[in-house]
Amino acid sequence: MNSVRLIHLFSLCAISWSVACGDDAEFTISPATINLHAEEDSQQVLVTEIASRLDLTRSVRYEIAEPAIAAVTDNGRVNPVTSGSTTLRVINGERVQSIPVQIGNLASPRPVSFRYDVLPVLTKAGCNSGGCHGKAEGQNGFKLSIFGFDADADHDALVSEGRGRRVHLSAPDHSILLRKATAEMPHGGGARIVKDSVWYQRLRRWVAEGARDEPAPDSEVTAIKVFPSEVEMSPGKSQQLQVTAVTAGGDQRCVTVEAEYQSNAEDIATADRDGLITVSEIPGEAAILVRYMGHVGICRVTLPRSGNEFARPPEQNFVDTAVWDRLQKLGIPPSDRTDDAAFLRRVFLDVIGTLPTETECREFLADRSPARRDTLIRKLLNRPEYADYHALRWADILRVDKSIVTPQGAVAMTRWLKTQLRKNAPYDRMVHNLITSQGNTLTESPNAFFQVHKDPGMLGRSVSQVFLGVRIGCAECHHHPFERWSQKDYYAFAGFFTGVGRKGAPSGGQKIFPQPGKDLSHPRTGESVAPAGLGAPAPDLSEEYDRRNKLADWMVSKENPWFARMIVNRLWAHYFGRGLVEPIDDLRATNPATNEPLMNALASHLIKHDFDIRELTFAMLSSRTYQLSARTLPENRSDSQNYSHAAWRPLPAEVLLDANCQATGVAEQFNGWPEGYRAIQVWDNRMPSYFFKVFGRPQRVSVCECERGNEPSISQALHLMNSPESVRRIRHRDGVCAQLAASDDEPEKIIERIYLRTLSRFPAARESQLMRQAFEQSRTRRQAVEDIMWALLNTREFVFNH
Amino acid sequence: MGHRRNSYCDGQTRRRTLQIGASSLLGGLTLPSILEMQANAAAPGPIRAKACIFLMLEGGPSHIDMWDLKPEAPSEIRGTFHPISTNVPGTQIGNIMPRCAQIADRFTIMRSHSHKDNAHQTGRHWVLTGYPPSFADGQAKGMPFNELYPSVGSIVSRELGQRGAVPPYVEMPNPLGPGGPGFYGARYAPFTIDTDPVQPDFEVRDLNIAEGVDESRLSLRRRLLEGADKEGPGANVTGRAKTMSSYYEKAFELATSPEARKAFRIQDEPESMRQRYGMSSIGQCSLLARRLVEAGCRFIGIDHGSWDTHVDNFTSHEKALCPPTDQALSALITDLDERGLLDETLVVMMGEMGRTPRINKDAGRDHWSQCQAVIFAGGGTRRGTVIGASDATASYPTTQPYGIQDLLRTVFHLMGIDASKVYDTPLGRPVPIVNGGSLINELIA
Repeated sequence: MNSVRLIHLFSLCAISWSVACGDDAEFTISPATINLHAEEDSQQVLVTEIASRLDLTRSVRYEIAEPAIAAVTDNGRVNPVTSGSTTLRVINGERVQSIPVQIGNLASPRPVSFRYDVLPVLTKAGCNSGGCHGKAEGQNGFKLSIFGFDADADHDALVSEGRGRRVHLSAPDHSILLRKATAEMPHGGGARIVKDSVWYQRLRRWVAEGARDEPAPDSEVTAIKVFPSEVEMSPGKSQQLQVTAVTAGGDQRCVTVEAEYQSNAEDIATADRDGLITVSEIPGEAAILVRYMGHVGICRVTLPRSGNEFARPPEQNFVDTAVWDRLQKLGIPPSDRTDDAAFLRRVFLDVIGTLPTETECREFLADRSPARRDTLIRKLLNRPEYADYHALRWADILRVDKSIVTPQGAVAMTRWLKTQLRKNAPYDRMVHNLITSQGNTLTESPNAFFQVHKDPGMLGRSVSQVFLGVRIGCAECHHHPFERWSQKDYYAFAGFFTGVGRKGAPSGGQKIFPQPGKDLSHPRTGESVAPAGLGAPAPDLSEEYDRRNKLADWMVSKENPWFARMIVNRLWAHYFGRGLVEPIDDLRATNPATNEPLMNALASHLIKHDFDIRELTFAMLSSRTYQLSARTLPENRSDSQNYSHAAWRPLPAEVLLDANCQATGVAEQFNGWPEGYRAIQVWDNRMPSYFFKVFGRPQRVSVCECERGNEPSISQALHLMNSPESVRRIRHRDGVCAQLAASDDEPEKIIERIYLRTLSRFPAARESQLMRQAFEQSRTRRQAVEDIMWALLNTREFVFNH
Repeated sequence: MGHRRNSYCDGQTRRRTLQIGASSLLGGLTLPSILEMQANAAAPGPIRAKACIFLMLEGGPSHIDMWDLKPEAPSEIRGTFHPISTNVPGTQIGNIMPRCAQIADRFTIMRSHSHKDNAHQTGRHWVLTGYPPSFADGQAKGMPFNELYPSVGSIVSRELGQRGAVPPYVEMPNPLGPGGPGFYGARYAPFTIDTDPVQPDFEVRDLNIAEGVDESRLSLRRRLLEGADKEGPGANVTGRAKTMSSYYEKAFELATSPEARKAFRIQDEPESMRQRYGMSSIGQCSLLARRLVEAGCRFIGIDHGSWDTHVDNFTSHEKALCPPTDQALSALITDLDERGLLDETLVVMMGEMGRTPRINKDAGRDHWSQCQAVIFAGGGTRRGTVIGASDATASYPTTQPYGIQDLLRTVFHLMGIDASKVYDTPLGRPVPIVNGGSLINELIA
């Protein structure tokens, strides 16, 4: 029997606006009618000003005509008191509107369902969260499944375990469940539920009704609706959300109180536990994730800057169109186009991980051809260092770990990556080849990937995260907390890798070979799960000897919803310092891009050009957006997500080391390596190096780009300033400092040359004057040169890309 | 990385408790239950310890020979050492720790520490992070090898921050294997002194301004650097670039401030003081640790090996391991006490395991994590006490065994850190500072 019948489908809401609110009505009320059928149900009302669409929920006054029948809080939440009909009056100054309130027969409510009524309360109260009873080992002997994904086990834990004291059928208030939850009994987690509150009543009634877990197929939640799903807000204002669960039986019921809220950009907008969104002063966009019973929805919040004329700069290509659209909507002006010198340094460091030389600087800065920037981008994309640098980045996330795959294996896979990049292999082919690779790990190939990832689960987790941006790993043990992925999806995906054979090869290395795979079984139900792509139907594997083929086909197809977006986001994050989606390998409907049209345009561009990575990169780098200055305007200073100015990004450890060596003309001597290698060429991820350690070079223990540390530390500053290695580079008898000091150049010229070698630009007159002090105050010319070099190598401008 | 969550499990902030208390008045809670709720919320008590010195005896010291002797046990168990009386009536310890015996009224021996990880790398990971490692023993790679979970020092560093001119978290004379920041990130990594203060030419890596750069040249360099930063495009940066320049400030301070440089200059100690701690690695590290505490350091991890005495356990303990340790620990405790610092400085000495009660064929003792002794002094712990006891062969605790989570929770409690605070890993998994465990009330003064 259905107890809660709320008529507020959003289409109906819309109708009620036009019907209930004539021309003179100032605001609308959602829903248009309230129907509550159990005493622990509630309905959140939304009151919206029509003209401005501002949320008035927290500013109007509420009255129930007959308080004996229903009650309403100041926040607009209606609770039943006794059966009957009444009205809710909403008062906004002079204006008053009413909606009918129906309270059903409270004496015979629908029984409380364990899985659909009790578990959501335990989830919202945090009982089954990962820090508490939801931990793998439970908490103080009481274990719940995380976020309530395993209702059977949870029911057992509550009713059968704990010597049956957790629920007390004949005296429900004495149940340990309730006494602990309210902290009537000492509870490590403190009070999670207020006694006699609505939730308390619901848990109590469930116990009183026999603490059963009866099937209630009609009550199964099939979807949730979040209203509003998009909202434009202004600083200091709030917006109440209204969340409605739709059941298999077709009921709709307000679960605003039970749902959970999380913002993906807390510096812009946050939501409290009752679903009230508040925003900061920082313009931008946030997505509020709403979660209820494994279902997720979002509300996108836009916070524009107010009151500015937007002067739209010229567009270089489609990237700028999408970025300007966004900035215009937000009222954030972009910074100016950066000068040639800043562009030169930025694009060198980004594309080839290498500083421009003094000569390259002079040439480019003298070049007056209009197409010089585009020409430079094309040239850099074809340089060998491009392959070196990007192979290094790929080897990090593909976990080319020398200590697992042997040095020869690491070299073999690094070489394969370089080849792909050098010949600009279409990205879809490259990934297809990797997923289906076979043969010896010591040959130039991606085979070592299957040595590092030893089992189907590891492969499934890494492949989905690296190439699809889906963190399916969560679903190994429990339903993904922010997504629709269940354990079934996890084992279906991992099941593609059950046919990967590995054996030692007589010639050394490991041989990776395909063999017939078998379906994995679901850890809880034991049923075997047919392999399937995420959210895709299970393919027919009967004709396939190597089931990875079908997976690879599905992954790289143009229709795959993640494949193109993931590489777009990864590259964008590399070149712009922040992914369109962050974290960059966490693509979810509930974690949207800050600029969806841009993301879509880039993904389409990639697909249209047959997954040509260089073309995509060129589109990004030739945009005016990439070439904006890092100097901020007062109006865009606080923007960090809409690309209104270039970002300051720490140089990766290897790039910074190479830059130091190049600027000083003193090569690094790597432990046991022949001379002449640059840090971006070092495939040895376990090479002991203090520099790599303090600057956060990843050890390749995870496929997450986040393993690369980019947090500054005191040790870094000390190392650059004082370390014997830094001193050696500056003092080296064959180094640049020595050469400059010995040259006939005037101080002016020397200062210029050091600026070009370090900061890739000419010094301004004031800077030159500042640096002349060294020549005036140092005892020797050599010391002066060293001091200037030391100072510039330690500037923010040198240590960061900008 | 690892942003703070606002949900608590084992405890809540005091403010939150008060909020619940206020709202619950409407909900009909009785006053006693409110008081009970407040008592349950693990609101951190008064800050007892401003700093912690953690002596990690790598390899596993022999509890049955040093702190928990069993003279009545058969000879293949009791070994060659005998118990001696301490200055605490009724408390006896091994005759290889004579100096500690004379000051036993200033520290507490826990004889019932116990855990199940019987290997070195994994056991050390367990002890220093409170989390089980995800690798098999001997498989840990890299340094530090706590790739996910932060170490106790990094947690202290994150929660308490810098005090004074020295970094908040220092390790010496080597990095502790699992002493890193895990997912907290490099910001909370230890400042590692990779050299040993017992060396005559001891100096701290990267701390010294290059030779030939005197004060006037350094101030010129600094002027050039500050001028270049001011004139360049980075004049008004925010975010990491700004943080980096604040670290330059701190680095300069560290390298140039008399206070910080002085803290590291162990050579300034009078010879008598250096001799008092003993001219050993652990002795001079302990002395330097005391100097760092005085300068404001929050957590000092001292790495001391090699206690893995599978062979010749007795000779090793008697000749090589215990004498410097006995001297260092007793000097550290008394010196801190004389300076009035012991009450606000927590000293912990332990290994990743104890050693087998049964002596092996090589006159050695093997790994034994089931029963260990841990020494606590100062920082709000009791003085002159023994807590916990083991069975007749020092094999298992006969009282409530205390696990590492109990121990860490208690350390954090004494330092005023809410051990129930939760940070999310980059993948969104919540990781409480300490996962479970209870306060060891009998340890707290």
